[in-house]
Amino acid sequence: MQYQDDHLQFNPQIQVINVSYDGVIKETDNTFFNWSKGALIFDSHPFFEMLKVYEKDSHTEEEDPINFPCIHIEDDNTQKICDVTFTLKKDEITILLYDYTVKYKDLNQIAQQKNESILLAKELELRNKYLLEKEEFKNSFIANINHEIRTPLTSILGFVEILEKTKLTFEQEELARIIKRESKHLNALIDDMIDLSKIESGTLKVVEERFAFKDLINGFSEGYAKIAEEKQIIFETNIDSSIQEYLIGDRTRIYQILNNVLSNAFKFTEEGKILFSISKNYQRTNKLSLNFRIEDTGFGILEENIPYLFDRFTRFEKDKQVSGTGLGLAIVKSLVDLLNGEIKVTSQPEKGTVFNIKLPFKFEVRKTIPERKKKKYTLPKSTTKFRVLVVEDEEVTQYLIMKVLISHGRFFVDVAINGEEAIKYIERRKYDLILMDLNTSKIDGYQATHMIRNNYGDKFISEVPIIGFSGKANEATKDKCIRSGMDDFIAKPFEQEDLIYKIVKQIAKKATD
Amino acid sequence: MKLSKKVVLLGHFGVGKTSLFRRFVDNEFSEEYKVTLGVQIKKKLVQLPDGRELSMIIWDTEGHSDSIEDTRKSYLLGSHAFIYVFDITREQTYSTLKQDLEYLEKHYTKVPAKVLGNKLDLVNEKEITSHLKSQNIPFDCLTSAKTNKNVQDFFSDLAKDITK
Repeated sequence: MQYQDDHLQFNPQIQVINVSYDGVIKETDNTFFNWSKGALIFDSHPFFEMLKVYEKDSHTEEEDPINFPCIHIEDDNTQKICDVTFTLKKDEITILLYDYTVKYKDLNQIAQQKNESILLAKELELRNKYLLEKEEFKNSFIANINHEIRTPLTSILGFVEILEKTKLTFEQEELARIIKRESKHLNALIDDMIDLSKIESGTLKVVEERFAFKDLINGFSEGYAKIAEEKQIIFETNIDSSIQEYLIGDRTRIYQILNNVLSNAFKFTEEGKILFSISKNYQRTNKLSLNFRIEDTGFGILEENIPYLFDRFTRFEKDKQVSGTGLGLAIVKSLVDLLNGEIKVTSQPEKGTVFNIKLPFKFEVRKTIPERKKKKYTLPKSTTKFRVLVVEDEEVTQYLIMKVLISHGRFFVDVAINGEEAIKYIERRKYDLILMDLNTSKIDGYQATHMIRNNYGDKFISEVPIIGFSGKANEATKDKCIRSGMDDFIAKPFEQEDLIYKIVKQIAKKATD
Repeated sequence: MKLSKKVVLLGHFGVGKTSLFRRFVDNEFSEEYKVTLGVQIKKKLVQLPDGRELSMIIWDTEGHSDSIEDTRKSYLLGSHAFIYVFDITREQTYSTLKQDLEYLEKHYTKVPAKVLGNKLDLVNEKEITSHLKSQNIPFDCLTSAKTNKNVQDFFSDLAKDITK
């Protein structure tokens, strides 16, 4: 800060004090500080202790004044900001106090604003860093807890499926059904949490793929028609027939949005009807905007609750009568935003609710290529069973996979508890396929695969099909599996049909190579 | 004659010199940031272990933006110790530390300079200590004027040092 030295410019009030070298006040005009003659100036304010630095006999002639700008001096009655000068004379020191309080207060305001803005920027940077760290921790926590929950959940769902195939009493069947329903509910909750976490962290990527739009909608029509029949309500669909059969968009997310809103409509409608209609908003060159309208005659929503409808974990009074996580519509809103769409809701209690969702799509102008259907695979003809090595350290999962494969009837199963043991097994016996858990102890699934692919000249070993499996169900894990040399990946909890399909596919492909 | 020593607080603006000053002298702390213009001076009596009483005259100077050379020379006159304060959360407040210490050592040969990193309440002590060490930042103490952590001990040790 630059100070003005020109005292005259500001015309300050000046107090003149003469003191002896031992600090005794000899004279003062008391212009603004009322200090007594004969008193020690050191006691007036600690600033004047500076005077102790100067010795009496070393100043024979009057010297240039020593300046101390912007000194805050106060006593019991007065507060001033002064420029102070000491003039050292032979027998005394003359002190001049220039009162610049007003000038310095003005300067203070400018300095305050300047410094505050710099400090605020730093504070925001720190706050941002803290929030990013918190976000990172949350995401890694969710990913880890997801893995820990999915592993036992896989076993629960798998064993219930096995249990359902055994002879059960009516009561046991009912209990098994409840366990299955609740486990699926828990699984859906984990999926929702992961989706939300991905949306919030910005890691959820929108995929643009060509897909059979009409097949997707027919799937909804057929699936929900059955539920409508069970609930004895009417389900009507009204789809604009000019909508292209194939569209380009994120099929998975569109499915998720519509399924969530439709399933809500079914949950909250006990009588009357649900109308699902799709119409075009506009179509230009290869772009298309569709309006999805889902109208029900259900409980409806109170007007004051509508603004909170898309908040996370929102469950209104009526919601408690049906199952749900309270995350569904929060995800729907986030996904619609992510796809650059729009969602609106109108509702009347006891009359029903209408959701209008606008979503943009693209379509191919020139040709239509039928979507590839899931190819069917069959196991090669063989007089002996196929031998599968399951590498898994958790007993329950080991047991579940063994049960599934053995009950299929065409597999022998060996179990290794980690990658190290798996290596020993494959050196002793020929396997048709390895199911490799990615997170086993000692040597993990990736390392074991790398060793199998690279350390053996025997092709029965080095080219054995390997399917990785893990509770970390994401694209990154799948990519890592493929990059480490595995042939496929299956996420826990898996449907038994999917597991068998993937195993059969890999064995069949190997046989035709 | 009473034992009296002048101690000057130096460092960039916003590092917490005034907060340390107020915490030590009046045992007060305010979250509000107020620029110090020029210098504020207060006296604190410190009891020394040998029974003597030290009148510590503390000069809380206006923070500089670039280098310590911006500080008025007359403020440093007759000092018995310098306390160079930096903000451990703001790297630019210790980016000129080494040059500033060299400057003080060159012009005030006999005056000891202590280096103090403030705002310990905002960071993890272990992490910041290892960070500062890895950057070769010399410091004598880390404090928090807000929580009073290490403040009283620092000034007590300083009082002992300058009265030896």
